[in-house]
Formats: sequence, C-alpha cells, structure tokens
Amino acid sequence: MLFNSIEFFIFLPIVFAIYWLIGNNRIKQQNLLIAIASYVFYGWWDWRFLFLILFSSVVDYTIGLKLKSEDKPSKRKALLWVSICVNLGFLGFFKYYNFFVDSLVDSFTFFGSELSISTLNIILPVGISFYTFQTLSYTIDVYNKKLEPTKDFLAFMAFVSFFPQLVAGPIERATNLLPQFHVKREFVYKNAVDGLRQALWGLFKKVVIADNCATYANMIFNNQEDYSGSTLLMGAFFFAFQIYGDFSGYSDIAIGISRLFGFNLKRNFAFPYFSRDIAEFWRRWHISLSTWFRDYLYIPLGGSRGGTKMKVRNTFIIFIVSGFWHGANWTFVVWGALNAIYFLPLLLLNKNRVNTNLVAEGKYLPTIREVFQMATTFFITLIAWIFFRADNVTNAFVYIKDMFTTSLFTTPEILPFTILGLVAFFTFIEWLGRSGEYAIEKVDFMKRPVRWCFYFLLVVLIFSFTGEQQEFIYFQF
Amino acid sequence: MKKFLKHIAYGFFFFVLINLLIVLKYEYPAYKAIKEKTHKNYLKWNNIYENKNTYDLIILGSSRSYTGFNPKVIDSVLKLKSFNMGTSAQDIAESYHSLIEILNHQNPKYIVLETYFDLSDDVHDYYQIFSNASFFKSSSNKFELITNGYGSNGIANYLIPLMKFNNYIKQDIRTLFSNSTQKAPETDWYKGYLRDTLIITKKKIAALSPVPNFDNTPFNKERFNTFFNKINELTKSKGIKLIVLRTPYPPTRLKLDDNTDEESFYKKYFKNIKDVKYYDLNHYKADIFKYRDEDFSDHHHANLTGANKISLQLSDIIKNQSN
Repeated sequence: MLFNSIEFFIFLPIVFAIYWLIGNNRIKQQNLLIAIASYVFYGWWDWRFLFLILFSSVVDYTIGLKLKSEDKPSKRKALLWVSICVNLGFLGFFKYYNFFVDSLVDSFTFFGSELSISTLNIILPVGISFYTFQTLSYTIDVYNKKLEPTKDFLAFMAFVSFFPQLVAGPIERATNLLPQFHVKREFVYKNAVDGLRQALWGLFKKVVIADNCATYANMIFNNQEDYSGSTLLMGAFFFAFQIYGDFSGYSDIAIGISRLFGFNLKRNFAFPYFSRDIAEFWRRWHISLSTWFRDYLYIPLGGSRGGTKMKVRNTFIIFIVSGFWHGANWTFVVWGALNAIYFLPLLLLNKNRVNTNLVAEGKYLPTIREVFQMATTFFITLIAWIFFRADNVTNAFVYIKDMFTTSLFTTPEILPFTILGLVAFFTFIEWLGRSGEYAIEKVDFMKRPVRWCFYFLLVVLIFSFTGEQQEFIYFQF
Repeated sequence: MKKFLKHIAYGFFFFVLINLLIVLKYEYPAYKAIKEKTHKNYLKWNNIYENKNTYDLIILGSSRSYTGFNPKVIDSVLKLKSFNMGTSAQDIAESYHSLIEILNHQNPKYIVLETYFDLSDDVHDYYQIFSNASFFKSSSNKFELITNGYGSNGIANYLIPLMKFNNYIKQDIRTLFSNSTQKAPETDWYKGYLRDTLIITKKKIAALSPVPNFDNTPFNKERFNTFFNKINELTKSKGIKLIVLRTPYPPTRLKLDDNTDEESFYKKYFKNIKDVKYYDLNHYKADIFKYRDEDFSDHHHANLTGANKISLQLSDIIKNQSN
C-alpha cells in the first residue's frame, strides 16, 4: 500500500479510530492491532513475503532470549552470527544473488573462460533492506548488552513490522522504538497535530515535488543522447529534488503518522541541500542509515582512531557498503566510492566537523561564503546523483561527458517553469523552516486563519499537481 | 482527542467547501451549456438516443478522431449514415463503455476505433471521462466505467472535484504566469465532427516536437489489451466490423526524428492481434493522401482540409473491405 494511494487514505483513519477506541490501557491489544494492520499494509503489496517478516521476527526474538540466558562468549557469538547470517542471507539472496552471478560470469568471460550459472527470476521483497537492518540492530544491541531482550513476542512483531516505517524507514533502533511498544501511549493533541502537519508536508514533498520532478528527470535520463549539456544538468537537478522529495517525504509521512499513534521515530533528514560541505551533507542525509553504519560497521572496524591508512580504508568501506545497500548495481558502488572521495580530504585534514551548526543560524540570509559553500556541495552531490540514477556506469560517464560541453551554456530544451516555480517555493519554505525538525514545524507563529490557509494551499497544490503516481524510489532498496 | 477530532471535522468542512467552489468554477459552464443545448457531449448522446438504430458507421476515439472524421464526406462517398462519437481525451476503457451504451440504441455495421496510445497510460483526464459518462442512460454502465475502468482512482476522482479538475486548476495556475492565448471555442459541429478551419502557424510548425517515443512513455499495455479485447469481442458478437486506425500527425513531426518508436510500436502491437486489421493513416496510400503541415490546426489535430483527407482515407478503407 502506498502512502499516496486511495487505499491508504481509507486504511489509516480506520486503524487510527480502532487503535484509540481500544484505549491506551490495553497495550497488548493495541500492539496486536498494529501488528495486524502492518501485515495488511505489507500484504497489500504481496502477501507471500509476510512469511519472510514473520520468520525474521521469530528468529531474532528467539535469539534475543537465548542471548540473555547464555553467558558463554563463544556461544553468544555463535548466536549473533546465526542472526546475522539469517538476516543477511535473505537480503543477499533476494537482493544480490543475480548481481553476484552476473558479475561472476562477467569476470570469467573477461579472463577468457566461460562459466554457466543462470540467474533466477527473483522478486525483491519491498523494504527488505530496512526491516533487516532494524532487526539486526536488535540482536546486536542485545549481544552488546545495550538492550534487554523482550519477552513480549507481540510487541516485537509490532516493532519489526510497524507499518509507518516498514518499507522505507527511518531504520529504527530497537533501543529507541521497541521500549515504546511496552509502555502506555498517550494521545497528546499537540503531538497529533504536529504529526499530521509533518505528514502533510511529506505528502507535498512526494506528490508535488518528487513526482513532478520525476517526469522530467525520467524524460532526460532516458533520452540523454538527445539533449544539450544544459538540459542534462537540468535532468540531474530534477533528479536531485526527486530523490530528496521522495525519500524525505516518505520519512516525514512515516514520522508524522507514527505520532498519531503516540510513537516517536528518529529524524531521517535535516535539510541536506543546505549543507556547506559533504561531511555536513552526510550528517543530514538519511541519518538513520548513516548512523547505523557508523555504529555497527565503522566503529567496530576501528573508525577514525587508527592511522591514515585505516581511516581511508574504513571510509571507503562504509561509503561503498552504503552504496551497495541501495541496490545490486555497480552504479551504487561508484556513487558510494565517489562520496568517499569527496569526504576523505575533509577527514584527513580534520575538517569533517567544521560545519556542525545550522547554516546562517538566526539570520534570514546566508553570507556569500555560505552560498558558495552550499552551491558547491549541492553541485558535487548532483554529479554523484548521476551515477545513482543512471542505468549503468558507462551511461553515467557519458552523461557527465555530454553535460560538460559548450552546450552547457545554452538554454535548456526542457525548462518547465511551473515545476521550477514549485521547487523554488519548496526550497524557500525549507530555508525558512530549517531550524525545525521539518520545514513547517514552526508555523504556529502564524495566526490560525493564516495557518489554515497555508495548510489548504498545500492541500490544493497536492491535489492539483498530483503527478503520475510513482512508487517511492526507496521501496526498491 | 475531542479537540483533535473537532479540528479534523473543521478541516473536512473546509475541504468540502473548497471542492464546492471548484465545482462551481468548473462545472457551471458545462451546466449552462447543457441548459442552452450547446454542450458537445450532450448533443452527441442526444443524437444517438433520439435517432434510434439510424447509424451504419460510428466512430470512437479522442479529439484526434472528432476533428478528423467528417461524416458528411464519409456518407457522400459510401452512401452510409455515419456519426462521430469521439470525445476529448477518450481512452480505451471509455471507448468500450461508450460502445456498450451506443449499442443499446444503435445497430451499426461498422465501428471505427481511433487509437491514441498517449491516452492509455495511468493518468487520465477524469473530467472529460465523467463528462462523457454523465450522459449514459444506463447507470450500471456508468458505474462500471468508473469502477472497472479506473478502479479506486476513478472513484476518488468522481467524488473529489479537486482531483477531477486537477489538470484544469494546474492549467489555470500556469496561465497566471504566462500569456498563452486560448483556442477559439469549439462551436461548429456536424454529426459529432468538429469543423476546424484554423491552420497551424509557421512559428508553431518550427516549434513542433517529434512524435512520442514509446519506450519511455507510461503506455499501459495490459490495460489497453483488456479493453481492446473487450471491444473486439463485443463487436464480433454483434457481427459488427471493427476498423482500428491511427490518425495522422503533421509530417514535420514525423520527420523530426529517425526514431520511429511510436510507429513500430503500433505495428508490432497490432501484429499480435489477430482478426483485426490496423491502419496507420500517416502512411495509408500516401501517394494519394499526402499530408502537409497545413492540414492541421495544431501539433496533432486535423483541420478542415486534413479531415477531408482522413475521411476519404477511411471511406477508401471501408470500400476496399467491402469489395
């Protein structure tokens, strides 16, 4: 079920009404409802893969309990590895099997011999990368004794399958979300309104910005050989806003809806396109994934504590693995590696923590220096997005080569002023609201009639500019 | 919770209010036109209902068909009685349900189906679709068009004017920022055919873009197949000859690109459909019916001279089929 579908607009009020009618004294019943609703939500897409989530939940729940009762380090480690192998095994099979087979066959062909392994017709279960990482965080935290394992299987099932964030994150840590399933959830008017507002903003980002930018990004990327450099630059620009609107829009809707049910999810985006360097960008983009890799991969590998060699190695590992997490394609690997290359100079010069505050904090306008820094960061990110969007690495290089020609200085063939106007409006609102958790968090300063007019402006824009309904990009990850 | 629900109720009330304003702005002209008996779809359906079992040949399709097929020309050549039931942005599901409605009141020998694949994607002009369906006499057919033809999106668009009119609202917002000129109102109708004397300007010809590249358009093949097969079965069961065709484009557009994706896509597509012959009027007897850009009023609608050629081509096709 998509957040921007009619089915979801019927599903959500029903679940919301039953949830609060049950009453917050009946935590178990509420958790049961969340689990059932989440399974319906997921099963709407393909019910067969519900068994995968259920199996993953049973395995990690059991291992969690066993880890608690087991003291022997070797046995504890073995239990952890069982969880890692099961979870990553599923992920590896469904997401990467064909990629590895193809790559293996290609490498054998490259060295002049032939290998005959056929690929399988595998359907990638929606959101598998998200819930796999979420359950893994539970086992690892229990193993590291940072978290007490839960004895309540229903709460654990609801935690793994929690429908607002099941298919595209934010990737929740068990330490943050699981305890919320054990305590009474209060309905707080302020939080519910805030949740609705964030969901509305998320929907605007997805439906108005991302879906409309997608039309032009697809048009340009799919016919890249027909366009001038300036149009190709426009294509990358549209994709940058498509992916941001799409993914951060989903996160906003997920966080907003969770609030309606009395849950608090982690922030996933913090206005990344206002970053002054790439390190800041990565602190603001897909925060739940970056911090996951930091805590469960980068730090165990030694982080930046070792010498230069180790720093370089760990940085490349984390960025390449992060790229590979997005999909089984070399384009994602190159995208990750490119970001590592952008990031390394800052790390090696110890400048990766220079811009930790908010840009132009307390001011309406940034300084010229800040504008230059933001523009540069945005531009290098844009180049990286070309690899992310392209069908293969060769196409990405050709795209960049064709972009940097003299035609870069001509008027683009595709210049949709309405969409550009919407992107400008969106960026303006994001800029004004950049000190909040999300752009329109602090609209309370407006008088109620003005505030409501603003909400309805968003509603009218959402309905009027509904582009062609596109699935959320991150579903495929 | 009470306060929250109260505010949700207020929000809902304002939402309904906005929708009512939208209805007033966009439905009122149609309401007025029906009252004054000038509404194009009203007149078409009225003609079908009032002249029971009169027409031998009925044309279905988009605006590309109602600007292309002139019953006056067709009737004079074939000595038949024809009627053009093409409507704006008519997609394949709408053609099928229109056909059901038509066959409740007419007993034609020929059905001409103009296919414009651009409309058979997942984005529809619901206003035009529902405007056409609103004149169906059969409520069950109307209901089926909405539910089977367009699913949950169809129901939502039927119920929420903000969604139904979104293309028009968007267009109005755009015109606020541009000085685009509006086309003259469509008033000159003859048996469902729109007589358009406008000729595309040289400036507009220079700005024409190539015909769509079907590899990259969201043409919904599965959907098209479903409804096309239904049309085929329905006409077969009634012993009606089905003629499927594509109306022409200004030749400059065809020449703009070596990539003939749309054309090859059509050919490949209809090759797989047995018993129905498909005609591409861009190329049908091109030596006789040669098109010029001046035969069009814009980037894809024929004007009076273009329609004359198109109608003669159709007459020729039917003549050959009868021989």
